[in-house]
Amino acid sequence: MTPRVSPILAILGLLWVVVVTGLAVLKPGAIALSTVTAVLQFSTILALVALGQALVIVCGGAGIDISVGGMVSLAVVLAMLLVKAGLPGVLLPALCLAIGLALGLLNGFLVTRLRLLPLIATLGTFYVYSGAAVALTGGAAQAGVPTYLLPWGRGAVGGLPLPFLTLALPVFVMAGALLHTTSWGRWIYGMGFNERSARLVGIPVDRVRLAAYGASGALAGCAALVSLAWLGGGRPNIGQNLELTSLTAAMLGGIGIFGGRGGVFGVLAAVLLLVTLQTGLLQLNVNTVWQVGIVGTILLIVLLIDNLALIRRTS
Amino acid sequence: MRAFLQRFGEREALLALGCMVSGLVFSILSPYFATPDNLLTVARNSTELLLIGLGMTLLLGIGGIDVSVGSVLGLAAIGIGRLLEAGAPPALAALAGPVAGLALGVVTAFVVIFGRIPAIVATLGLLGLYRAGIFLALGGSWLSGLPVGLTNLLAARIFGLPFSVLVIALAYAGVFVAVRLTPFGAHLLAIGNSEARARLAGIGVRRVQVAAFVLSGGLCGLAASFYVATYRNVEMTIGATLALEALAAVVLGGTAVTGGRISLLGTAFGVILLRLLQNGLLLVGVPSLWQPVVTGLLLLLVLGAEALWGRLPLERLRQSVVGVAQRGAVR
Amino acid sequence: MHTHSKVVLLAAALLAVSSTFALAADKKVAFVPQIIGIPYFDAMEAGGKEAAAKFGVDFIYQGPVDTNPVDQMQIVQNLIDQGVNAVAVSVLDASSIAPVVEAAKAKHVALFTSDSDAPKSGRALYVAQATDEGLGDAIIDEMVKRVGEDAKIGIVSGEATASNLNAWIGFMQARAKAKYPKLKLLEPQFAGGTAQRAAQIATDLMTANPDLKGLIGVASTTCPGVGQAIETAGKIGQVIGTGYCSPNTARAYLKSGSFGYSVLWDPKELGYLTVWAGKQLIDGKEVPATTTPEGMSHPVTYDAKTGVLLLGEPAVFTAQNVDNYKF
Repeated sequence: MTPRVSPILAILGLLWVVVVTGLAVLKPGAIALSTVTAVLQFSTILALVALGQALVIVCGGAGIDISVGGMVSLAVVLAMLLVKAGLPGVLLPALCLAIGLALGLLNGFLVTRLRLLPLIATLGTFYVYSGAAVALTGGAAQAGVPTYLLPWGRGAVGGLPLPFLTLALPVFVMAGALLHTTSWGRWIYGMGFNERSARLVGIPVDRVRLAAYGASGALAGCAALVSLAWLGGGRPNIGQNLELTSLTAAMLGGIGIFGGRGGVFGVLAAVLLLVTLQTGLLQLNVNTVWQVGIVGTILLIVLLIDNLALIRRTS
Repeated sequence: MRAFLQRFGEREALLALGCMVSGLVFSILSPYFATPDNLLTVARNSTELLLIGLGMTLLLGIGGIDVSVGSVLGLAAIGIGRLLEAGAPPALAALAGPVAGLALGVVTAFVVIFGRIPAIVATLGLLGLYRAGIFLALGGSWLSGLPVGLTNLLAARIFGLPFSVLVIALAYAGVFVAVRLTPFGAHLLAIGNSEARARLAGIGVRRVQVAAFVLSGGLCGLAASFYVATYRNVEMTIGATLALEALAAVVLGGTAVTGGRISLLGTAFGVILLRLLQNGLLLVGVPSLWQPVVTGLLLLLVLGAEALWGRLPLERLRQSVVGVAQRGAVR
Repeated sequence: MHTHSKVVLLAAALLAVSSTFALAADKKVAFVPQIIGIPYFDAMEAGGKEAAAKFGVDFIYQGPVDTNPVDQMQIVQNLIDQGVNAVAVSVLDASSIAPVVEAAKAKHVALFTSDSDAPKSGRALYVAQATDEGLGDAIIDEMVKRVGEDAKIGIVSGEATASNLNAWIGFMQARAKAKYPKLKLLEPQFAGGTAQRAAQIATDLMTANPDLKGLIGVASTTCPGVGQAIETAGKIGQVIGTGYCSPNTARAYLKSGSFGYSVLWDPKELGYLTVWAGKQLIDGKEVPATTTPEGMSHPVTYDAKTGVLLLGEPAVFTAQNVDNYKF
């Protein structure tokens, strides 16, 4: 039932060292505290969303959440519209979280109760959530984020951005603890690895899965909050492309697409690697087109290496 | 064979009904909907998605998927466009599409099957690579206002039917024959149901998988020829929305994403219903911004309704009587 | 002790030399477009390069591959971190660049906007191709010249979230309301980034409104779709297509007659002016109210109160004059 150890963390670490060394050699000035701040700031939203994506996938049953970006966008829009409609601004964080959770639970309901395949159910909600976010606002950005949020969203302590330090990092630690020390964690890996035997030994598979989709939604809500506090405005398409980038990060982080395999810190490492790579290429003024291609190539190569290692171990 | 016939009457009938009902509603609400010109427009708008959806149906059938189809279309379209710009004969340019598509299909097949990477992840990686390829091949400018040679060639009518309709009919008929009258179909579904069991049964699993990916690539390339002929324009965001649209249409048509169950007719109806709704809603005055919402709701309603329907005791009773034989035949 | 202070002195001297050396190196001006890989911004890049060579600065052109504001901000942030002296941004979303404006201030980098503005963000100045109002007015006025006042006009835009496109649409509607009460502008439709969707929507608009007289493609990505749709529908002459797109993009459609005209400025000149403005900001020079930057053929105006540096009036391209332009 314990997760199989994969060489993914080592591979990612090695790649990260390569990227940083390359940057240090080519552009020594880029190795600075401000670069660390920038990398972490731009990692936060992706990290939160990718964690939700990872949890859903680890739970197995062909789990996947295409709607993550849509949930972020819709949570941003709905929360801002509610505040504009007269709800006190103090509630904004709670609103983001609650709306995200509700949207995620709807996904979970479609998957566990209606037994729709996750890819299809969340493809449907992806269209509905992201479409509604743009249609409800006519595409206009929603200004008027309460000012008390901005110092948190834009602040940093010792070079570490506050949203990363006080939200993303704790959430990852909690998720790691949940997966590795509690019975819920054992259930999740168990059902992800083999759902039938998990049901036979009495694991409440559907309830755990519903919770995973809910968690993915709540994390999208957190990402929505971070974007609001950071940008100072609600953008109806803020979650654009997150479905594919979060999936990339989760896969790169060693999450097995069939469930039951991988850990959350691999995901965090993958997110940091991706954003560090982007930052490095930007610092060197490499055309952004190459980023897209390089990320695709790294994904393929890391999975190939991982596959070879697995095959060698199992044979 | 029997399974196919029995399958019809469920999802396909529902979608055909959906097309008819929405067509009826739109023609009541808008005098401009039920005109030959407009219906032809819907048909023309469906061309690329019909071809790409056909390939996607086969891929889902073996339990695969390809999220890079839009970029494959894009790369093939660039090749076609460059040939046209260079003054190549339109027939050569038209053929270059499928050829480029087949070649890219081989690449996809190689990465997925011989790299042993799950299709959704492998094609996600390839999507990044292909996107970068499109940017580089276009190099910042677009191909726009391409020569009309290809447009005229593919606008030809044969027996009064637009050439595209004929090609699509041929493609569907060809795949239909391959799936129904040759072992390819049975093997395809067997792999989709269980790759391990198919291998034990002595099926050349890899050969069938490669065939599906290469065929899908070729269909994307064919779609690219029609795309360039219709729009005479290749921009760098080309095809960005096609993969998810194709997936939605195919699933709407009753093909299972887990493999083992496909419906070609369902895919065709799914594509047409999607395009019909996009067209009709605009004609009756629903802002285009709501269209993704409608697409999503349609997907959830059709599949959700089926799920609920399947759980009614009445249905269970019917299935216990009829369904046993039916399931047996499909599996 | 003695040797130690000598070493310190030497180090200090070295540092001073190296930093003066750094100062002597070329100043860097960067431009961040809304998206890379489209002809319009490519032309701006070419103009920027030309100006950089003329004024002895380094020019960096770096932009996102999707119209994604967070990706754009990440690029701006990294340009600031790597120590460029001035950054111009064609803003995707006026409300969301506040964080990088603060970062630029902290590092004494001159952050200004070009092509698309964020008026209340605290940017140093805005290099405008034309006023948003002027653009909205021009396209409507030219349309009325061709189809008359009593006409129905459709609008096909790109992303619904692009603040500059929405501003233009707003001014089109205002112009129609104020000056041409009989002109009927349909609700704008949004096609996203692909020519295919633009063509679909344009076709559907023509079907739904058989009395449609004109179609305006607001985003340059929608122009080919609109032009192609009019050709395919066989409505050349019945429906006048137009849009904000460059002569190169519109040429085929202007020649075929599906486009009556196209409204744009010279993006290369705009890129040139952008880098010139960056150089002024780095040098700490006031921009005079009217001036002709070296290498430009006509004067530009600057409004110190709003911080808008205006390139000039938008140009109108037609089948007759389009071949005089190569951008």
